[in-house]
Amino acid sequence: MLAISLKSLLAHKVRFLLTAVAIVLGVSLVAGTFIFTDTIDAQFDDLFEDIYSGIDVSVRADVGDFRAETEPFPGDVLDIVLAVEGVEIAEGGVTSLATGVLDKEGDPIGGRGPPTLGFSWAEVPSLTPMRIKEGAGRAPTGSQDIVLDANTVANAGFALGDTVTVVGLSGPEQFELVGIASFGDQDSLLGATIVLFDLEKARELFGYGDEYTGISVQAEAGVTAEELTERISLVLPAGVEAVTGETERNEQVAEINEALSFLSIGLLSFAGVSVFVGAFIIQNTFRIVVAQRIRELALLRAIGATGRQIRSMVIIEALVVGIVGSVLGVGFGFAMAFAIRGMMNAAGMGIPLGALVLLPRAVIAAMLVGMILTLLSSLLPARQASRISPVAAMREEAARTPRRSLHTRALAGSVITGLGVLLIGLGLFVDIGRSIAYVGAGAAIAFMGISVLAPLAASPLADFIGWPLPRLFGISGQLARENTKRQPRRTASTASALMVGVALVVFFAVFGSSTKASINETIFELFPADLTFSSTSQTDPELRAPISPAFAERLGVYDELSVVSAMQFGRVVIEGETQIIGAFDPETIEQVIVLDAIGDAVAAVAARDSVIVSASFLEESGWAVGDTVTAEFAHTGEVALTIVGTYEHGDFGKLFLSSDTYLANFRYMGDSFVFVNAADGVSVLAAQDAISPTVETFGNIKAQTKSEIVEDAEGQIDQALALFTGLLLFAVMIAVLGITNTLTLSIYERTREIGLLRAVGMVRRQVRRMIRWEAVIIATFGAMLGVGIGIILGWAVVRALADEGFGAFRVPVGQVILALVLAAFSGVLAAVWPARKASRMNILDAISNE
Amino acid sequence: MGAGGMLSETEGGSVTGDVAVRYAARLENGVKTYGEGDTAIHALNGATAEFERGRFTAIMGPSGSGKSTLLHCIAGLDTLTSGIAYIGEIDLSTLKDRDLTLLRRERIGFIFQSYNLIPSLSAEENILLPLSIGGKQPDEDWYGTILDTVGLRPRLTHRPSELSGGEQQRVAAARALVSQPEIIFADEPSGNLDSKASAELLGFMRHAVDEFGQTIVMVTHDPGTAAYADRIIFLEDGRIVDEMYDPTADSVLDRLKSLGG
Repeated sequence: MLAISLKSLLAHKVRFLLTAVAIVLGVSLVAGTFIFTDTIDAQFDDLFEDIYSGIDVSVRADVGDFRAETEPFPGDVLDIVLAVEGVEIAEGGVTSLATGVLDKEGDPIGGRGPPTLGFSWAEVPSLTPMRIKEGAGRAPTGSQDIVLDANTVANAGFALGDTVTVVGLSGPEQFELVGIASFGDQDSLLGATIVLFDLEKARELFGYGDEYTGISVQAEAGVTAEELTERISLVLPAGVEAVTGETERNEQVAEINEALSFLSIGLLSFAGVSVFVGAFIIQNTFRIVVAQRIRELALLRAIGATGRQIRSMVIIEALVVGIVGSVLGVGFGFAMAFAIRGMMNAAGMGIPLGALVLLPRAVIAAMLVGMILTLLSSLLPARQASRISPVAAMREEAARTPRRSLHTRALAGSVITGLGVLLIGLGLFVDIGRSIAYVGAGAAIAFMGISVLAPLAASPLADFIGWPLPRLFGISGQLARENTKRQPRRTASTASALMVGVALVVFFAVFGSSTKASINETIFELFPADLTFSSTSQTDPELRAPISPAFAERLGVYDELSVVSAMQFGRVVIEGETQIIGAFDPETIEQVIVLDAIGDAVAAVAARDSVIVSASFLEESGWAVGDTVTAEFAHTGEVALTIVGTYEHGDFGKLFLSSDTYLANFRYMGDSFVFVNAADGVSVLAAQDAISPTVETFGNIKAQTKSEIVEDAEGQIDQALALFTGLLLFAVMIAVLGITNTLTLSIYERTREIGLLRAVGMVRRQVRRMIRWEAVIIATFGAMLGVGIGIILGWAVVRALADEGFGAFRVPVGQVILALVLAAFSGVLAAVWPARKASRMNILDAISNE
Repeated sequence: MGAGGMLSETEGGSVTGDVAVRYAARLENGVKTYGEGDTAIHALNGATAEFERGRFTAIMGPSGSGKSTLLHCIAGLDTLTSGIAYIGEIDLSTLKDRDLTLLRRERIGFIFQSYNLIPSLSAEENILLPLSIGGKQPDEDWYGTILDTVGLRPRLTHRPSELSGGEQQRVAAARALVSQPEIIFADEPSGNLDSKASAELLGFMRHAVDEFGQTIVMVTHDPGTAAYADRIIFLEDGRIVDEMYDPTADSVLDRLKSLGG
């Protein structure tokens, strides 16, 4: 049987090729994702291995679950550490996330992308990853000196000796670029902007006194890192801890890996969509191939092969195609990894270039996906093949395989679709956790169910889509339409693949525009403030970078403003969970934002150590007003907070303190937002003009009116939509290839017919037109189903999120129509090859009697 | 179009013109070779034949004698290795694919052995196919005459799969006639039919020649079928070896025997 399988495959290269291409595409995105993440993984492992190899022990603030890199401890800890026996050398330094660098135009560098990291320059090379690049200046030594990483210097077009403006806690300040640094041998650390000052200046700029945020220690020869860590731990004061260099390194690598795993899960989800779409194509291809081989298979049956042997023959063929396709898919995965890296870097991620790494897991995962995909896709067609009766070999007309009755199909399809819808509903509307998994699985099952139902709609929809064709293109148009109706299952199956891609594209478009509409409503409703100021740098994905405290202070002097109110954010651990907590001035806050506080909650929070909690979070946590919760702050440790009230609008945050309580418990780095209102009789524009000198000196602060905030948010959504759509295009491409696949196989089947048409006078152009419009009908069919499902899914998700502030449901009509038109056009592309093939088909094949 | 243009360019009254008036199709020294060198097979090996207008000609010969190849080459479905095939006055070798296709559409009709209808079109749509491909409407009188002759009026809306073999071939015959072609080529048209359906179809073809002045060239291996023709040419090894006028089934059988012997 194996021999027959192999020979059969070799004898039908086109068939083999078409199936393999679907597998290659499905597998390559999976392989590409793994290769991409493994490569970054390996690069960072190497990087951290190299650069921290000199550090045996790290001393840092002991702040529980918080990230400790910016939490200071007293400077005399260094003397304690130096006195420990076995310490060869030790050096302290400070780190800050609150610094912004301006480019030559006075605009902030980094923007919404990777963070800006501020460090003090370490004198001992073995204790730091930072190096001054060969011939690129010197280390910072005075209060005017700054060193930047090579990537930033290159991107901003700085040169040694240039003046660089840095916005620190006390406002903007000018420095001279004295050196260009690399991180190990890398010019960039994930695209971050790295700024380095000498220790004294760094402390001043970052707002530290005679303090360090870290001490790096090298052990004497013969003393192990573990031993030394233990010795140092014994003498450290409370609130300071020592860990081995390796521990710290692993923590950092783990942190990067976590960020990457988020990325790789995202990419794998999209790869999953491609694989899913690929499954439709592969199954359809196998099914058509079995149908076309009925005579051959029946002959085998007639001369004594069992149904089981036929089944294994089909499966073996599938496996061989699966292996070849998967191997090629892994190869093609390299190209995908390059493409992904290019995309990420285009978005400013600063992912280091270099050779791609192929780990066994990428190969194994890709091969497994490819094999399982092909195997599963071949099971049904194989079963179908095993049921072919030997008599079929004798019949003139190729015997039709028995079809399920329409009723059975309608029933089965409805049940499967219903199950999918049920899962989606559970995920969306019932609080059962892991809701995304439920929605994803539900959507996949619903797609399958609909693809079972789709053949029922194929004929009427083909008539509907194709109604103008006979009038426009005469017999070619009529035949195109009729041909799509001939094998409803084949048409539907091919269209279903495109349906999945289009449905997801439309879903994101609907979700995106609904989000935009909701944001629009929310912002105008929630922001009485005329202007909102925020930092343009981004140092932390969850927390806005702080604006220098000096800013709100300086705005206070303008008569054009009636209110200046600031809001701060920070992390706190409550009942074991890290939460983002906000703070405001209770006296002014309600003039600039709407919290919908219940009773006098806002006034009540003015009392020290009190907190107000959003209504939904209060319910979620099972707390009540009047309860006391223990909050752990990085700076002050455990503090008992009394819940003094609640509020409805949780959009700004779910926990708020007064700014006074905040200042008492946090190391104040600045404000996350500053809201202002223009004074009576002063237009927003006039107020903006009046304060613009102050805003400009800070450089990294942007002022936004309400509509600008809306635009900004919309811009972010559009960017995300573009990325998702880009990743989904791959699945759409596979689906379009599926149309090519089906048509190519179909025209083989119709050789006689096409030959006859040619014989009685159809010119090649008419043949091409016939095939092309058939493809367009199939594509439009799939796209219409997709648009319908996408809109419904979007509606369900928006409804489910109604509690989270999604008030609006919007269908972006223009985009949806564009998607339909493009999908229809993709049919034209899909048909290029089969149409050419059909138009060049040998007429004699059609009419020869064999 | 291309084909029509050439007619006017030929010199009226010349030998070619006269020949073209008399013969609907001609083959001069037709050679068709498959493969090369030692393995080359000469399906046609210098065959010359003329087909008079308004006549029903049958081509006979043993399997592999080249009769189908001959038909394909004169009908513009296949190209000759050397020699010239004419439809009317037109040398087929001078036509590109498009003009050849248009020539088939406008001046030639086909009836093949089987699978010769488009399954997704109704009987009527199949009959009108050559016209609809060209975007033309049928001549109502002529179309009515054909329908009455083949007796398909009640079956027009049916798909081929709902028609009997005989009905299918009558649809094919009606299709071949509908565009009033100069010549109809038929390749074993009754090969898959039972004797009754076969007699009906051949009777219809005979009728078309006698009543409408249609020219028909038919390939067959069955003496009974060939007996419907006015004239039979016999092929062997790619050459015309004999011909016969006003055949009967018995006379054909005798001739075949003598040839075979």
